[in-house]
Amino acid sequence: MGKVKSNANRIVKLSTIKAIHKWLSLVVFVQLLIWLGTGLFFNVMDHDKARGNQYRQAVQTVAIDPQALMATKQVLSQSERAVKELSLVQRLGQPYYLLTHEKALYRHFNNEYSLVNAYTGKTQQIDSVMASSLAQLSYSGKAQVTKISKVSPPIDDFLKEQNTLWKIDFADQLNTSVYLDAGSGRLVGHSNDDKRFVDFFFMLHFMDYPIFTKERTGGFNNGQIIFFALLTLLLCLTGLIWTIEMLLKGRYKLR
Amino acid sequence: MSLHSTSRKYHKWLMLFVGLQFVIWSMSGAYMVVMDIHYIHGDSLVIKDTPSINKEQVNYSINELLTEYPEAKNVKLGLLLDQAVYRFSVTKQKMMISAYDGQRLADINVAAAIKIAKQHFADENAEILATTLITKQPSAELSARHLPVWRVDFDDFASSSFYISATNGELVTKRHNFWRIFDWMFVFHVMDYVDGSPENKLLLLVTVLALFGSVFGVVLTYFRLTPTQVNKRIKR
Repeated sequence: MGKVKSNANRIVKLSTIKAIHKWLSLVVFVQLLIWLGTGLFFNVMDHDKARGNQYRQAVQTVAIDPQALMATKQVLSQSERAVKELSLVQRLGQPYYLLTHEKALYRHFNNEYSLVNAYTGKTQQIDSVMASSLAQLSYSGKAQVTKISKVSPPIDDFLKEQNTLWKIDFADQLNTSVYLDAGSGRLVGHSNDDKRFVDFFFMLHFMDYPIFTKERTGGFNNGQIIFFALLTLLLCLTGLIWTIEMLLKGRYKLR
Repeated sequence: MSLHSTSRKYHKWLMLFVGLQFVIWSMSGAYMVVMDIHYIHGDSLVIKDTPSINKEQVNYSINELLTEYPEAKNVKLGLLLDQAVYRFSVTKQKMMISAYDGQRLADINVAAAIKIAKQHFADENAEILATTLITKQPSAELSARHLPVWRVDFDDFASSSFYISATNGELVTKRHNFWRIFDWMFVFHVMDYVDGSPENKLLLLVTVLALFGSVFGVVLTYFRLTPTQVNKRIKR
């Protein structure tokens, strides 16, 4: 045992390990404190508020007349583009055929749709008026709409979203914004200042900083966090070795 | 006691108790940031290009479907292998019928499950190792709402598994060994050792101690690495 240990000491001296530990602490301490601080925040925060759904309500569906629907085959025939999937949906109490032309693995990846009125067969574009009405149906607050805008990725409130969305802002105290997929009219979600506050902490925890011309991604696979994570791993391992050494030398004594 | 020796004492003692969790945090954190999340989700295992619906196969209309099943919810026309089918739910039960004639389609058998799994799987050379029908109590990697499902295991490098719904043939979940490791890493990262406890008091306690231990560590960094402080120590 003693021999193995002395060999290890020769490869990397304990004094080197201690020096590495000290210098690494200088490099990573700010981010390390941020990680611990934000981690503590995630532990104690109100998880319900973090969802941004303070004023979200379920959209009611209405009964539809099956006989009045346009035949499915006819809808497919009149579509100029190939259809990967067709579903019967409702928008503003009206049935629509939602045609998926480009189907990605997830709805927040890039998809292409057309929305066809299921009674008349007319293609429906989601314009600002329709977007605003759709947003208000999902909104249980009393505030007025202040702004309707079309936003393209990256979208601060939904960074993982890859599709163009309609953003409808409401004049409530939480600054609620409602997001709809501009292609399908589907409700993507609500966001508000509570959620944005939590998102800010996630940005800090994931080091998703918009620096070096890098845009925020909402994820944690960026170069700066990989760099700091590896240095921190080294900091912790050198600290572990140091602690073990102190234990072996009997430095942990209760006086 | 001086700030320096106080910090040394507390850094030493606090890290004795939370140091191991620091190693766990930094190892699990490093794994999670280094591994691309889309890879972890198994996105690269799935063929991107999906076939389109042939309208000649769609002789049975949604009108008829809604007349026959007035309670049908979430009606969707798509493909099962090369066949156009309607998928929907009636009082939370999943159903599938032919889009050609409205015939109720039988549950997916093992041969169909294998065919569907292979159709979606991106690596053409991968062989299937095992197929299992899961009807109750799925393992942690599958949500119970997808039941019943076929688990199809491939012999690829990552030991991938595709989960195919036994009622409607949809690919509902994809897992592989790097996902399984990631899932464990996350458990260790948030110290979720007592399963299902929403209030994680252990994590809270350890994080607070870790924060104190780190602040004392930063004080030590100041004393050990600032030139003026180092000179003082040497002179002493």
